[in-house]
Amino acid sequence: MDLALSPAQAAFRDEVRAFLRDALPEHLRHGARLTSGVFVEPDIGREWQAILEARGWLVYHWPRDAGGPGWTPIQRWIFEKECAEAGTPALPGMGLKLVGPVLYRFGTETQKAEYLPKLRNGEHFWAQGFSEPGAGSDLASLRTRAVRDGDHYVVTGQKIWTTQAQFANRLFCLVRTDPEVKPQRGISFLLIDMASPGVTVRPILSASGDHELNEVFLDEVRVPVANRVGDEGQGWTIAKFLLDNERGGSSFGPQLIADLARLRALAGPFEGELVTRATRLALEAEALEMTELRTLIELEAGTPPGPRTLVTKLIASEIRQGIDELAVDAFGLAGLQLPAERPFYGADVPAPVGSRDAQIAAGRYLNSRAWSIFGGTSEIQLTVIAKNAVGL
Amino acid sequence: MDLTPSDEQVMLGDMVRRFLADRQNTANMGRGPIPRDDWRALGELGLFSFLLPETAGGMGGRPQDAVIIAEELGRSMAITPLAETVLLCAGLIARRGSAGQIARWVQPVMQGEYILAYAGGGAIRYDGACLDGQTHIVQHGMDASAFVVALPERQGAVLVSAAADGLTRTPVRLADGTVAAEVRFDAVAADPLEATANDLDTAIAHAELATIAEMIGTMTTLYEQTVDYIQQRRQFGVAIGSFQVIQHRAARLFVMLEQSRSMMLKAALVEEDERIRMVTAAKAYVADAALRLAQDATQLHGGMGVTDELPVGRGHRRLLVLSHLFGGALAARARLAS
Ligand SMILES: Cc1cc2nc3c(=O)[nH]c(=O)nc-3n(C[C@H](O)[C@H](O)[C@H](O)COP(=O)(O)OP(=O)(O)OC[C@H]3O[C@@H](n4cnc5c(N)ncnc54)[C@H](O)[C@@H]3O)c2cc1C
Repeated sequence: MDLALSPAQAAFRDEVRAFLRDALPEHLRHGARLTSGVFVEPDIGREWQAILEARGWLVYHWPRDAGGPGWTPIQRWIFEKECAEAGTPALPGMGLKLVGPVLYRFGTETQKAEYLPKLRNGEHFWAQGFSEPGAGSDLASLRTRAVRDGDHYVVTGQKIWTTQAQFANRLFCLVRTDPEVKPQRGISFLLIDMASPGVTVRPILSASGDHELNEVFLDEVRVPVANRVGDEGQGWTIAKFLLDNERGGSSFGPQLIADLARLRALAGPFEGELVTRATRLALEAEALEMTELRTLIELEAGTPPGPRTLVTKLIASEIRQGIDELAVDAFGLAGLQLPAERPFYGADVPAPVGSRDAQIAAGRYLNSRAWSIFGGTSEIQLTVIAKNAVGL
Repeated sequence: MDLTPSDEQVMLGDMVRRFLADRQNTANMGRGPIPRDDWRALGELGLFSFLLPETAGGMGGRPQDAVIIAEELGRSMAITPLAETVLLCAGLIARRGSAGQIARWVQPVMQGEYILAYAGGGAIRYDGACLDGQTHIVQHGMDASAFVVALPERQGAVLVSAAADGLTRTPVRLADGTVAAEVRFDAVAADPLEATANDLDTAIAHAELATIAEMIGTMTTLYEQTVDYIQQRRQFGVAIGSFQVIQHRAARLFVMLEQSRSMMLKAALVEEDERIRMVTAAKAYVADAALRLAQDATQLHGGMGVTDELPVGRGHRRLLVLSHLFGGALAARARLAS
């Protein structure tokens, strides 16, 4: 056993580090630091996306035959670790992390040719239309109907919690094509142009005052049958593939470790109880990083990852929430300010009391409660762990 | 020993609840401070004079009366400056102020005309006549007609009119939608108040107790909303409240609330010489429980919990602020330990 990077891996790390030093503009680092929401602000995310695409590293987690750089799992980890330490923005995830892999795995050649380039160059900004008012944890009970009419589906229903739908021009969507069969069997996966007649987006404000969430109403929206990914009824299989990527497609540990170190630098040195809390969080993050690394090392060696991968999103949520609560406490009274203007790096936000980092703490705290809810709640994660890992 | 509220206390609670029920509903509760007219109306009901000492023309309400009012405010998430204005500032002036100071500042508070704010931190200098420097965040500071400013090392306090020459303030919006202020003093004439550090600590304890009761009220509402929600919300063909995991979580909320209420009651009922320590203990306990409860209430609401649309999200914001006032649980635990 050996944890050290090989000479080739170390050289790769240096290459990534050198690239980030030159290519990451200060305003993007600043914007990433001052993002209060759970998801990257599109202006920042898009600019970073273009920089990475120019270097050929945007779809670093895609396989080579799908257009990726052909990196091994450890190379991907090294890249993510370096990005976390450098403080890069996140990437607009719904497209690159979620629908992209679905397309190269399940899409037709025509769909790949049509959608993958536009996803990469940012022309298409995607939103995820899975959840519905009546179908959250119980996703398979979704009711949005797609009725076949010649070479179109006519789609009617309502999606909710649709992150950044206000910016999106494309929606990938689970719809019910067959109400007669077992719920999981009657679901299909459609790609919908948000400009289609019958699509309406209504904002949902978060308790933090951020606008990330939306309701999307679909009223007899005509969607070409050619926009269905996979077979009719294959939607559930595709959704499971996608949700696995959502929960475990990239590593959480490096980002959490970097964020905690950043908080320590900005709000520290901690005193009293804060020291204990920061230490606990640091330990948990260190363990998580190693847990993730174990899986990646096994993957690299060709061993299929076991149920251990289920642990990561659950633990990452708890650490994230712990860090954001620690920040509020560390900034004291200044950690209670919450201006209404967004984004925090924008010109409209009033001067902060203390620092911008203090000014953003309460919003972050409120938003990060969502971590244990989206992409499968922690209760559901624990049930899956009990079933699949513990064997109950 | 007797924990039965008196008839007067029951009436007091009912009166406040009825008053608020007409004005607060699930659509607006906890969105921000209640309208100034409602605050004035509460003053006209006699609520504030009821809480202030008889020597200042009040009715000598006790801490156990104050918590009844504050809990009702918390229950309907009516955000007010009751703790800071009535219990802390007006309470201190009523006990330690001159007749002139009482007439000038306490009387208008009783009528709901004035809001007073307390500036307890920052970099302040006082030369016996004039005040210089800048405060930290002052709750309700933009609405205040005057400030009680604690002097360095809490060597007494001074009174400053918000209209005084040389006073400027910058608004700071807080997580609960209230607008606090950073206040700057540039050779501002200040009116000294004969108050010792202990007088200040006592006044703060009375105010902090009210914020603890307010937390209990809001926690109760979040608890009730959550219990309702898990009975209504159906997933997998059943109410989510039928899952044992959810039942145990809800049961924990009940336990937390009972324990918190016990601490609040004890802090309200102890003898005056134990008040400061017991309020600190209650704060340390309840502030922690409040956030845990708010977080669980959010979690059990799923996506709905993180929105601005339900009282649960707004209650969470208010509890975030209340739990951190006066140094929050961290400072309270540190004080208890020392
Ligand atoms: C910030 C954010 C962004 C999101 N973005 C998107 C998006 O872009 N696209 C999209 O489609 N969806 C999105 N979601 C939706 C998310 O996937 C759902 O919120 C999630 O699946 C939970 O569903 P729900 O909100 O209906 O909660 P519910 O399923 O109603 O759950 C409520 C509570 O009950 C518990 N519960 C439910 N079932 C069980 C059970 N069987 N056993 C034990 N406990 C149970 C839950 O854990 C939770 O605590 C987002 C959500 C959030 C908060």
